[in-house]
Amino acid sequence: MWLDFPIYASIAILCWLAASGLFLTSGKKVMNQLAAGFSFAGTAFLLVFIAILWISIQRPPMRTLGETRLWYAVFLSGIGLVFYLRWKYKWLVSYSLGLAMVFLIINLNHPEAYDKTLMPALQSPWFIPHVIVYIFAYAILGASSLVALRNLFFVPTEKTIKGPIQMADNLVYLGFSCLTLGLLFGALWAKEAWGHYWTWDPKETWAFITWMFYLVYIHYRFRHPSEHKKAMAVLAVSFAILLICWFGVNYLPSAQNSVHIYSE
Amino acid sequence: MSNENSRKIGQHTWSYREGTIITGTILLLGFSIQAASGGTVLLIAGFPWNLISGIVFLGLLVLSFYFWHKHPIIKGLGSVKAALPAILGFTLLVLMMGFVKQDVESQNAMVKLFGLTHLVKTWPFILINLYLLILLGIVTMKRLTPFNLKNAGFFLNHFGLFLVLFSTALGSSDMQRLTMNCNENQIERKAVDASGKVVDLPLSIKLLNFNIDEFRPKITIVDNKTNKIVQNKGIDQLEMLDRDSFNIAQYHIKVEQFLAISAKVGDGFIKANEPGSAPSAKVTVTNLTDHTRLSGWIYSGSYANEPVTLKLNEHYSLVMLPAEPRKFSSSLNIQTQSGKNVTTTIEVNKPFSIDGWTIYQTSYNTEMGRWSELSVLELVRDPWLPLVYLGIFLMMAGAVFMFVFGKPKSGGTEHVA
Repeated sequence: MWLDFPIYASIAILCWLAASGLFLTSGKKVMNQLAAGFSFAGTAFLLVFIAILWISIQRPPMRTLGETRLWYAVFLSGIGLVFYLRWKYKWLVSYSLGLAMVFLIINLNHPEAYDKTLMPALQSPWFIPHVIVYIFAYAILGASSLVALRNLFFVPTEKTIKGPIQMADNLVYLGFSCLTLGLLFGALWAKEAWGHYWTWDPKETWAFITWMFYLVYIHYRFRHPSEHKKAMAVLAVSFAILLICWFGVNYLPSAQNSVHIYSE
Repeated sequence: MSNENSRKIGQHTWSYREGTIITGTILLLGFSIQAASGGTVLLIAGFPWNLISGIVFLGLLVLSFYFWHKHPIIKGLGSVKAALPAILGFTLLVLMMGFVKQDVESQNAMVKLFGLTHLVKTWPFILINLYLLILLGIVTMKRLTPFNLKNAGFFLNHFGLFLVLFSTALGSSDMQRLTMNCNENQIERKAVDASGKVVDLPLSIKLLNFNIDEFRPKITIVDNKTNKIVQNKGIDQLEMLDRDSFNIAQYHIKVEQFLAISAKVGDGFIKANEPGSAPSAKVTVTNLTDHTRLSGWIYSGSYANEPVTLKLNEHYSLVMLPAEPRKFSSSLNIQTQSGKNVTTTIEVNKPFSIDGWTIYQTSYNTEMGRWSELSVLELVRDPWLPLVYLGIFLMMAGAVFMFVFGKPKSGGTEHVA
């Protein structure tokens, strides 16, 4: 089963490389449409792989870190394309594709033996919405931090920052609402599965910290609409916290025996 | 600090300085009391004192807002200038929890003194929670007067969070989480709490039957010398026995016969249904490099019987791993003091509620696996749960509102009272 992945991943990466190249070099409308087509094709190939994987392992492919990275690549590339189609930000779609490729390459370097078993606690109607909403939030917030980094490094003027900063805000509001839903779905599920909605399990603690950091961004932007630099710095740091929550928790000494450690 | 209209009103208006000083003082005070009290574990008073103090708190909050909502202090407490430092202060405490392992005994004197291993039950945590509740309460009332539908999202998010924090804090001591060990065909009336204290229950539970449904077992190849699983490119070579033929490494495996529960008879296995029976399979293994072929039985073994492996050559053997549980369930007869008599089946993710108690399937005798006659149940009573759920649903509605409508124009400030 695993052997198929390098083929699908390579095709997706090639499509996305072609898309990014066309987006960044060409100004022609036809070329941009072609680039959007390549971008979509890469995402579609990956979705086909996920579908085949889902069928062959007879469980939702959302149990391991590698599996969540697959979804992340799909969502991030999809979000980049949607934002391009809606707002014509070519750089955002290229950055998103770049980040999605990084996650695919990590997966290529860490092949997995896809395990068919799924522990009883994960067999719940909450499993799919909880993971999907979270990974979607992670992808959107990942895109928002790409915007933040661009705003930090490219030093836009007061005039040119308006669009990008609105974009960052829109992404954060979308991502934060999904983050909240994911957190609350998790709480309701936890109550069904082991009797309490919140136990300060290390993953929960870090998810809460992540949520608080984006909360800081939202409140800061609300009161200080013109302090862009600081707001963007908060946004960039928030994504680092998010990554600790997603991957880092597995390695924290405080997280041994957590119920949330993804199986490798 | 940026454009700030409230500054012009008078010299008593708030800036981040006041907000930071209050949050800092609360944290400092909290840790000082914690250290002074010798690092004790704090518990909020149980019923009815939690309910009474909750009502008094709400009353004071509403009355203060009603009478002094124009006072600079109340205005300040309802502003971002108070909220941001408070959020950061709370985040700081939760960050500590993120790094220091919780609910363990620490040998470090400093960690012990400040209660860092059980932060949620310490003074700084409870005080900052109280402060956040005050801020959330005031800001909710501020946005409600006058009521404007455009503030619906704001109300849902802030009041929802208020309700969740309020009811989890007050309800924490009324919540009971007990563990009950049930043996088949025995009636249990007692359970133990986390500290090991035995609690008499207003209901009795009889375990009628404990049942495990297992996945098909996996097979793999191990090194005869080290007994470790042979890996290929860093991956364990595990294959589930749910197909008739497949490849592992350079071997082709053909499953001639699979028995879900079996016992050894002579050189082979037969279907058996007695305690200690386990899965077995007769397989034919073809080495794809030299086309040699051999066949034999493999058996996963159980608490009662040794596993049987198939030696492929002097280096490797084919082994069957113990089957993993797909589902475990207990069928129970429950009798309550109120006269109810119910027979039901519970499993993981499918608890059963009766008379304010929810009964969860937690565990079993894992060593005995499918032959376990013990079922470990968890019994939870949480009378404040409806209020917590109301808060959670308000927050969910707020999140949906936020997803659909996005960031309010001009930061939403035009509808602030």
